[in-house]
Amino acid sequence: MNVPSVRTIELDPRIIRWMLISAQILALIVYLLGAGFLLRTSGGTLFLFSVAAPPMILLATLALAGVALYRYLRRSSLFAFALFEPGDLIFQQGDQGDFAYFIQQGEVEVVRRNEEVEIVISVLKKGEHFGETALINNAPHDITVRAKTRVRVAMLGKRKFLHMLRFVHPTEDNVMSTINQQASKQAAKRAKSTTQDRKVQRA
Amino acid sequence: MSCTNSQIAGILCGALSVPATAMAQQTTFQQDPFDQYVSRFLAVVIVIGAGLVLWSLFRYRGRDVGAISWGFLIAGTSLFPMMLSGVGTIVALERVRTVRVCGSCHLTMKSYVDDMMNPKSNSLAAVHYTNRYIAENQCYECHTSYGMLGTLQSKKQGVIDVYKYYTRTFQLPLQLRQPYRDGDCLKCHAGAPKWIAAHEESQQKIFEGKVSCMQCHRETTPAHNLLAQELNP
Repeated sequence: MNVPSVRTIELDPRIIRWMLISAQILALIVYLLGAGFLLRTSGGTLFLFSVAAPPMILLATLALAGVALYRYLRRSSLFAFALFEPGDLIFQQGDQGDFAYFIQQGEVEVVRRNEEVEIVISVLKKGEHFGETALINNAPHDITVRAKTRVRVAMLGKRKFLHMLRFVHPTEDNVMSTINQQASKQAAKRAKSTTQDRKVQRA
Repeated sequence: MSCTNSQIAGILCGALSVPATAMAQQTTFQQDPFDQYVSRFLAVVIVIGAGLVLWSLFRYRGRDVGAISWGFLIAGTSLFPMMLSGVGTIVALERVRTVRVCGSCHLTMKSYVDDMMNPKSNSLAAVHYTNRYIAENQCYECHTSYGMLGTLQSKKQGVIDVYKYYTRTFQLPLQLRQPYRDGDCLKCHAGAPKWIAAHEESQQKIFEGKVSCMQCHRETTPAHNLLAQELNP
């Protein structure tokens, strides 16, 4: 399944915060200019109030509108995006499944822990996806996924993912075939490790 | 104006103080009711708006965490300032006509304003001002034959005046850019029995523009008197 090339503008939350604080400070200056004009009307206060205040109001309103638009776009955007550094856990075995993950960049390791033994089942690359089994089964994750390199993933929420499966049939086929492939790989690995265990026991 | 200011100050400080209200009642007849009520309204807008912004700043510290924080943000940062600016502009247009505001910008004309307010001066401006022949906005009443685009024109000329003021390249007495319009005198005087009686012979010529007011009145009763030290500082 190809990863949809959805792009969203991701702003640092600090930028949003400072935009809002700046808008509020501008509004406070406008109130001060208004109070100055009302209390002591002179050429200076009149000039400041009638010439400087309107651009400040415009700037403050634009800042608010910008943040509101950004929030709206983020909310209505299909995907959320996240970056993980090498070694970061994306989710752990037993965690509740909230998202399906689509790898945009980098590689991840799919790991299963079995009685303190950690087995790397597979390595997923750009264009592949994971985490959807827990969403379909409505059960906790049965694997741990860890970033092998620096990874950028597009995250699709549970509700949106299930809607997508319901309404877009090829997607369902694609996801199911991936799940089957992964299950086969896991089964093969398990069979291999069991054979090795027996050999060790015989020896 | 000062009484209105004390009331506004009262509102801006959080409440209407009793002395301020009492003072306002004494001089209510001198105040423009429009200015009075709109100023109070604007003072309330400022108090509420600034309160909303300050509360939002301290409570949310720049975060937008839900409908209430957005309500505070939109009201305090955008709606109330727009209301303040919009309604305030109407008040500004009214107040800009007062002698105090004229004098606070047209600094080169300070000596003209001082002369107008001097009860001992016999200039036309002083006679009109000190006897309250013109009740208020005395500068504006005699100097506003602007027309439709006159305000823009006068502001453009005002920029030149600002330059001349700060570079000290102006000279007293100031010269009018164009001859004083008789219409600015006649809009009040024409039709007054006293004026008709005094101008029985000349009024036809005045109306036809053959004789101007200043031709006869410039020497005997000048529009403004300037003191010798102001002319030669």
